Amino acid sequence: MFSSVRRRAAVLFLALATPVVLVACAAPGSDNNNKQNTEGPIKIALVDAQSGQLSSLGAWELKGVRLAMDEWNAAGGINGRQIELGIFDDQGDPTVGTNLARKIAAEGYIAMLGTAESAVTIAMAPILKESKIPNITSGQSPGLVAVKSPFLFLNGPTSTTYDETLAKYIVDTKGIKSIAMITNNGGYGKGEHDAFLKALSSRGVTPLDDQVVTTDQKDFSAALTTIRQKNPQVVFIGAEEVQSGLIVKQARDLGLTVPFAGAAPQGTPVFVDTAGVANAEGSIVSSPYLSNDINDATKKFAAAYKAKFNEDAELHGAKAYDGAQILFTALKNNKGATGEALATAIRGTKHAGLLGNFAFDDTGVGIFATTIGLIKNGKLVSA
Amino acid sequence: MQVFLQTFIGGVSLGAIYALVAMGFSLVFRTMGLVNFSHGNVVMIGAYIASTFYLSVKLPFAVAMVIALGLTGLIGVFIERVLRPLENKDFDLMLIGTIGFGIVLEAVAIIIWGATGRAVPNPVAVAPVQIFGLRIRTYDLVVLAITTAATLLLVYFLQRTKRGAAMQAVAMDHEAATAVGIHVGRSNAIAFMLGAALAALAGGLVGPLLYVNPSMGGMLGIKGFAGAILGGFGSIPGAIVGGIAIGVLDSFAGGWFQGYSDLVTFLVFTMIIMIRPTGIFGERTVNRA
Repeated sequence: MFSSVRRRAAVLFLALATPVVLVACAAPGSDNNNKQNTEGPIKIALVDAQSGQLSSLGAWELKGVRLAMDEWNAAGGINGRQIELGIFDDQGDPTVGTNLARKIAAEGYIAMLGTAESAVTIAMAPILKESKIPNITSGQSPGLVAVKSPFLFLNGPTSTTYDETLAKYIVDTKGIKSIAMITNNGGYGKGEHDAFLKALSSRGVTPLDDQVVTTDQKDFSAALTTIRQKNPQVVFIGAEEVQSGLIVKQARDLGLTVPFAGAAPQGTPVFVDTAGVANAEGSIVSSPYLSNDINDATKKFAAAYKAKFNEDAELHGAKAYDGAQILFTALKNNKGATGEALATAIRGTKHAGLLGNFAFDDTGVGIFATTIGLIKNGKLVSA
Repeated sequence: MQVFLQTFIGGVSLGAIYALVAMGFSLVFRTMGLVNFSHGNVVMIGAYIASTFYLSVKLPFAVAMVIALGLTGLIGVFIERVLRPLENKDFDLMLIGTIGFGIVLEAVAIIIWGATGRAVPNPVAVAPVQIFGLRIRTYDLVVLAITTAATLLLVYFLQRTKRGAAMQAVAMDHEAATAVGIHVGRSNAIAFMLGAALAALAGGLVGPLLYVNPSMGGMLGIKGFAGAILGGFGSIPGAIVGGIAIGVLDSFAGGWFQGYSDLVTFLVFTMIIMIRPTGIFGERTVNRA
């Protein structure tokens, strides 16, 4: 087991240094597996950004999955078989993702966990569907549902749920109607943009301004100055952790003092660090996992996480942990079946997880609720 | 009007960073005729070294910057020393060598600092300056001042010192320079060292503006390179003007074309280069390959 982990680490390192060479090595026919094999370890692939600006998502997801895997393996594995985790780095790049999808199919992985980037998962989905490899993703873009793959499952709510809760809080509860939006044009940002806009228009609210930036953009002077002139009471952000942080930081420098609102990324420490604690104060966050103190299960998870990785657990680790638990439970109940049978088993798995009670529908979404939190002194607290 | 000016200010602020990156590209190119493709990754290493001494060792930001400049400069010397046997033999291999160094530097950064990255707090925690409703970050003024100082020092070095003049001579004709007793290898090493130090300056300064992570060099490298080409590859004033122009162009494209800003930025860039292939200052000092 240990040597296997080390080998994986070496492979990961090589993958970072020479992705082109590795992809070339993943020739068809190089697989020595047998899909009907019911002996030996169960091979699960974890695909995520382990490098690049989105790599904190990959790091959290890896920790959540590893915690779940180690618990199962310590308890004797799945029906006596150990779980073996293959870690792949998609660099947050859909092209790298599609190459990895072929690679994990060729190497005989029976299921995939990840990715945390909607655009990458959407790119990989057709190949995984063709290879009949079930995939539990941490992405949350409604675009994932639109793929309509019976092999794709989400370990959390979609943007539709996040943003419906957010709009309900801002418009219905707080009575705020002057709202501006800034979103990026990537897979996640686009999903957030459409979902929030829909939630607003269903309440008869038109945003004062609707700015779109690119995923690589670093200077938001033009967009933020335009927003400031419209004088909104709340600004909605649909962008990943680091970019959201940069937007809020620059907005404060440009004299935009109103609170920002958004989904999961705005509840992370990376967002708060990038924006600065004072700048992030008062951010409104829609999240299915506000803190580690929700109930006994989350407290137990947080304690185990802290003991293992010496850092505080947060949403993404919890989501990944839930996803891994669902996959392992399905494998156990289904006696290690793969392909379509495994997808059906995952769909049928009812799981009381950290985020709530999972019950998957036909679209592959298992959970439909988030709650509102606020950033106070750099920490996410219930609103 | 306010949006226009504020957009311009935002563009100049990042443009100053691109200008520093562009100067490093140009300095190495004018001396050796070589495009150093690892330059963006050297910027990233500079950003990490500066932020490490600033955040972890808790030195003042200025001291951390000086250390980063020195250490990164040494990395530049090392890269030149490894590539030196290829000088005058196979230029393409040397070019590929710099790409290889870029990949190695990124991998080394991941091993040392991890893949996740870090946020660097603003070292000049003063409220923005306000003039006519416009807001200028104090830190941006610091960046502009440092960029100006670095440019003046570099121009002084190249034009007024003996060693600088020797580098110019190597750039013009390296065989003739050797004949009059100028050490070409040393001249190249100085170019690489100064180039790397400029990269560290850009990286260290951009840390508090962005987010320091191992892949940050890609975007900065491309924008800096585009700036150097736009200004006239090899020209120091060209690098400054080109770098700032790319920053401003980017900023306005972001405001007017939103999600298509990258496309527009590089379309405009391509059009300018088609009309004026030698760039604004039109200097192409060397063509050794």
